[in-house]
Amino acid sequence: MLNYTLRRLFTVIPILLVLIIFSFYLMRLAPGGPFTSERPLPAAVMANVLERYGLDEPLHVQLWTYIKNIVFHFDFGPSFSQKDRTVNDVIAQGFPVTLTYGFWSAVFVLVCGVPLGVIAALRHNSFWDYTMTGLAIFSQIFPNFVLAPLMVLLFTLSWGLLPGGGWNGGQWQYVIMPAVALGTSYMAGVARLTRGSMLEVLGSPFIRTARAKGLPERTIIIRHALKPALLPTLTYMGPVFVYMITGSVFIDVFFSTGGIGQDFIDGAYSRDYSILLGLAILYSVLTFTLTLLLDLLYAWIDPKVRSNM
Amino acid sequence: MKRRALCLAALMSSTLMVPVFAADVPEGTKLAQDQTFTYRVLDEFSSFDPQVVEDTYGSEIVRDLFEGLYNQDANGNNVPGVALSHEVSDDNMTYTFKLRKDAKWSDGKPVTAGDFVYAWQRAVDPELASPYAWYMELMSIANGAEIIAGEKPITDLGVSATDDHTLVVNLSQPLPYFDKMVSHATTFPSPKWAIDAHGAEWTRPGNLVSNGAYVLTEHVPKERSVREINTNYWNADDTVLEKVVTLVIGDDAQGLTRFRAGEVDKTDIPAGQYPALKDEFPQEAYALPRLCNYYFTFNLDSGPEAFKDVRVRQALAYAIDRNVIVDQVLQGGQFPAYTFTPAATANFEVPSVDYAGMTQAERDEKAKALLEEAGYGEGGKELSFSYLYNTNEAHQQVAIVATQMWKQKLGINVTLENQEWKVFLENRGAQNFEMARGAWCGDYNEASTFLDLLTTPSGYNDGKFTNARLDELMVEAKSSQDTQPLYTEVEQILADEMPVIPIYHYSTNMMLNASIQGWPVDNVEQTWYSKDLFKVAAE
Repeated sequence: MLNYTLRRLFTVIPILLVLIIFSFYLMRLAPGGPFTSERPLPAAVMANVLERYGLDEPLHVQLWTYIKNIVFHFDFGPSFSQKDRTVNDVIAQGFPVTLTYGFWSAVFVLVCGVPLGVIAALRHNSFWDYTMTGLAIFSQIFPNFVLAPLMVLLFTLSWGLLPGGGWNGGQWQYVIMPAVALGTSYMAGVARLTRGSMLEVLGSPFIRTARAKGLPERTIIIRHALKPALLPTLTYMGPVFVYMITGSVFIDVFFSTGGIGQDFIDGAYSRDYSILLGLAILYSVLTFTLTLLLDLLYAWIDPKVRSNM
Repeated sequence: MKRRALCLAALMSSTLMVPVFAADVPEGTKLAQDQTFTYRVLDEFSSFDPQVVEDTYGSEIVRDLFEGLYNQDANGNNVPGVALSHEVSDDNMTYTFKLRKDAKWSDGKPVTAGDFVYAWQRAVDPELASPYAWYMELMSIANGAEIIAGEKPITDLGVSATDDHTLVVNLSQPLPYFDKMVSHATTFPSPKWAIDAHGAEWTRPGNLVSNGAYVLTEHVPKERSVREINTNYWNADDTVLEKVVTLVIGDDAQGLTRFRAGEVDKTDIPAGQYPALKDEFPQEAYALPRLCNYYFTFNLDSGPEAFKDVRVRQALAYAIDRNVIVDQVLQGGQFPAYTFTPAATANFEVPSVDYAGMTQAERDEKAKALLEEAGYGEGGKELSFSYLYNTNEAHQQVAIVATQMWKQKLGINVTLENQEWKVFLENRGAQNFEMARGAWCGDYNEASTFLDLLTTPSGYNDGKFTNARLDELMVEAKSSQDTQPLYTEVEQILADEMPVIPIYHYSTNMMLNASIQGWPVDNVEQTWYSKDLFKVAAE
């Protein structure tokens, strides 16, 4: 398994390189630049600005400098729009915010979604099942941009229970709404997935065998049925989790959390190349790491996968 | 004379002796216990460095943290800041500022003329490469342009300190409104020792040394910033607001929600909601005149052939019913525009151009006649073109209404095209358009900030309009003591030639909590200072 992990780690380098080169050129295809403004800068001022940020060099030289600075200094360059900060500063400030509410959102999804699905499956075709399925479908049709304003309307304006936005160092009052708004539709997805696969597993021969052996129902469900039934949920949660912790643009803008989702938007509008590129790299490294972790988790759960590694 | 209701009698006797320009609290006002003002900003600041900052929100903070030679009062007039007064030489080329002796930095060091020299040299320094170096160029400080171009060392800049409290500025050409330009953030002093000590990180809370009424105590980018009263500020005793908090809220509607929830004291009004909010909050919804114009520009360079005919341009300008756009579409207290320069501009009398005095029916009549004369419209050649604007709901509404008026009154077909901001700027700047939206907010409160845009060398003259007489007049205005006749003639040329169609002059629409008093509602640049505000107790 160590061998497998190392092999995977090595493939990431060329992938990242391709990604950097591709995004680097792609961004520059967009008309306008970081210093295009309503009042065009006088030529001499523009020349100084471009020189300061190295933007006067040919593109391939800029690219080479960029990669060199990352490899040798772990420096992702200066931000063009937030002139007092570097990309490292921006990510160091915004990522923990996004990670925090993304993490709690994922916890919310699993803690509510899995039990809902299991209960629905165990009480198949009963009142409980219909209620759970109904609830799941209901939450799935509420995307976060509908749910978030609705929550603010109720919890902030009507009942005055929670602040309408902000972060304030991550106090729990400020985390609840972003986490729930971000997670609700995924929670519904997880509940439905778990219900489906649980039903399938419960009907399979090895559960019948377990029952025939006279094992207690609780042991059957928790020790034998749950593990295989969670596999599809895990597959589903991998990319969802990456999405959650790298920040939903909508949640960050709407709740003014100060997370990195806001930087994606601002970076794109202001042509802040270094911010965008830095975030693209962060995003891909996270995707890669989490899928690797997920694969290892798979192997731990499913012996069939383990033997193939 | 200023009257203040703070109970300290000793303090009062000292403030009554000299005129001060701080919070002007009427007698008998009951101030709130908690003097905290929280307001919403749309996005993160570009910088807290006075020489680097380039956005409006950043400038608001920098004006609180630093103090330049002059501040503006509630009407936009200069009042003493670090400078008490100035003298101008007979040739209008040398300005000598007398600085106050009691001005201090937040670390206790005195503010000297040398701090201004350092800051101004810094602003043009190619090494710092501030995009706002253009502002110093605009101020016509001797050798500014050459230093920016790297032809002379920064020490050659026409600014010097004859002693700690005397600043002398030499200009490359006379500039009658030079003193109006020194309340701008780019001209604020900066602390050399702090910049040398902390380098690029000197603007972080803790590192930042400032000479304004407030110091920066907290900054979480994209979320909040906090500034608190600077006890070393020369007029700290008269400053009432103790703490000012900004919250970054990217969504207009969400800003309003949080205003309703009492989380912010000030926010912008989302487009189109002013009338409803004025009904709901008569004391708190504001529509204030603003130093900005909104116009359509013809591409006279590579646009349709028809645009080269002045009759076509006039017809299009006449056929727009500006009152409909202002009163029924935008509904935010904007002003119909028939001149390029807003009426709110200081020392500027709006000239009476012909078409402003007509009724709309007369204008429509004239428009039809002009268009027919030019050989277009009914029975003539067909006229169609495209109109380009940057993606935005309000711009779209204006575009739809205006082009619909042209279609109904003149039978002209216009295709609407919208582009994302930077794409739009790139295309408009490269004359890749037929007709485009234009707008400008004054850099300083004087008509030339607008009228210069339509001169031949202007970098913002995207329609490539050229008129020798207009260029001449604007050059003359630079050194004239009586500019009104010159500007009147320029506006007259614009009304005759119609290179752009003025549509309206902007207003600022905002919600401001009724407890916050002292807001400069009559300052058309909306240059406000937290030190002038105060919070009254709820009744």
